[in-house]
Amino acid sequence: MRRTTLRTLAACGLAALALTTAALAPARAENLISALSNDRVNIESNFTGTKIVVFGEIARDALTVARPDPYDLAVVVSGPEQVVTTRRKGRFLGIWVNRDAETFESVPSFLAIHTTRAPHEMASRTVLQRHRIGLRNLNLPIAIASDVPIGDRDNFRAAFLRLRVESGLYREETQSIEFLSNSLFRTSVTLPANVPVGDYTVSTYLLRGGVLLAQAEEQLTIAKSGFEQFTYRLAYEYSALYGLLAVGLAIFTGWLAGVIFRRD
Amino acid sequence: MQIYLPIAELPVNMFMLFGMGGAVGFLSGLFGIGGGFLLTPLLIFSGIPPAVSVATVTTQVVASSASGVVAYWRRKMIDFKLAGMLLVGGVIGSAIGVWLFDLLRTLGQLDLVISLSYVTFLSAIGGLMLFESLRSMARRKSGARIAARQPGRHNWVHGLPFKMRFRQSRLYVSVIPIIVLGAVIGFLGSILGIGGGFMMVPALIYLLRVPTNIVIGTSLLQILFTMAAATFLHAMSTQSVDIVLALALMIGGVIGAQFGARMGQKLRGDQLRLLLALLVLSVGVRFAVNLVLQPDELFSVSAAVAEVRR
Repeated sequence: MRRTTLRTLAACGLAALALTTAALAPARAENLISALSNDRVNIESNFTGTKIVVFGEIARDALTVARPDPYDLAVVVSGPEQVVTTRRKGRFLGIWVNRDAETFESVPSFLAIHTTRAPHEMASRTVLQRHRIGLRNLNLPIAIASDVPIGDRDNFRAAFLRLRVESGLYREETQSIEFLSNSLFRTSVTLPANVPVGDYTVSTYLLRGGVLLAQAEEQLTIAKSGFEQFTYRLAYEYSALYGLLAVGLAIFTGWLAGVIFRRD
Repeated sequence: MQIYLPIAELPVNMFMLFGMGGAVGFLSGLFGIGGGFLLTPLLIFSGIPPAVSVATVTTQVVASSASGVVAYWRRKMIDFKLAGMLLVGGVIGSAIGVWLFDLLRTLGQLDLVISLSYVTFLSAIGGLMLFESLRSMARRKSGARIAARQPGRHNWVHGLPFKMRFRQSRLYVSVIPIIVLGAVIGFLGSILGIGGGFMMVPALIYLLRVPTNIVIGTSLLQILFTMAAATFLHAMSTQSVDIVLALALMIGGVIGAQFGARMGQKLRGDQLRLLLALLVLSVGVRFAVNLVLQPDELFSVSAAVAEVRR
């Protein structure tokens, strides 16, 4: 009886020691290496969306602390930040008009969150929030001068997330990271046709037991190319020329049609 | 075949655009209107952002009216002086319209103003046209003579100052109603993406008593210039003219218009006006229903237009 208790105590002590060592020696923790199948996505006239593959390796060596549990991974692809206004219609004099609005300052224009399992099982909310793991853990800063009462803010927040998910710009996919071996993993992220252009970051997080062990970051550029890029730049940077060009093209097309189809 | 629109920033089916352009072009050839009031809502309902739809339809209207102007010019059925005066008003109206368009977009009320204006103008004009065409059909049936143009009779418009002579239209009227008419139509055109031909033609005939054979060519020329100005101003201030979208719509539109025009010659004037009235009214009712019924989705999101985008 006493012997068993002693043995249990000793085991506990050892386990505690092991945990302490692990916490004290992060240098011996895993390294995370990540890479993208493409670090540049070009949008051309036939663009209807695409996929990029994020893959990587959990690098360990002989000195890495042995851990019996499986790793948790999260891949977060986030697009350039935007200021987004969410509006709610209300009835006014019998018709439905936009009445209340909440402005979110700096939210990602695109967000794809891929994880090995449901985010809330992976770590505490604090950790998840810091790294945008899970749509529920997204921090949406609102404008200081917000007129929306505090009790109503969650409705706007929920509506914003719902609409973004519906339009395909935000996505959360649990169990979407595939392990090819003990240490190799990959996941395929869909970029929809309406994906915003700009500079993206692809962050990969390695967690275990609620602790962030390592992280890696890659850059991804989504840009219009060729004719689309040219047209877009012309429209924004040389607006007058673009306007004249549009008018000229329209008059020419109309004139041409008038000449081709003349009946007299 | 999907094609990516560089300004709207989404891919659309090119054949759908040709089809919509062609169908609206057919109606525009049939009724002698620009068809913007049909095309803009069609584009919005098919998922293209309202701002891009409105701005781009102004470009498409330029093309369709240019094709008509060529035909009327050849037959010398355009009063250039009258068109010029309408244009002065048109440019003023367009500039105010584009400015307000930009303002409303930042306030988030653009969709509401577009819907409300559609309801108001389409219902009013559709209603008037329906009434007028039914009355003229009834009169024809009962065998009564339709009153011809009476040059001697004047209405209140002819009492205004700053009179000017328009030789081709055989008119001597004040420039005030002409400039106001041009401005109102230019304003509506840039806010709603419509040419306003369906308002201009009756106004010129009934209000200013311009001879009918001069009206269509003159109104088309005025619309051509007003919409060209609106396109340019939209390109300058809202950057929402999508040249690829415009081109796809134009090609469908000009071809459809030719078939429409041929079809139109087989129908009587009052029949055409009755059909057009029903068309205009139904688009107005469609918008009214949307405004009055509770929408399925109360929320909407819109990203602020970024200052620097690449």
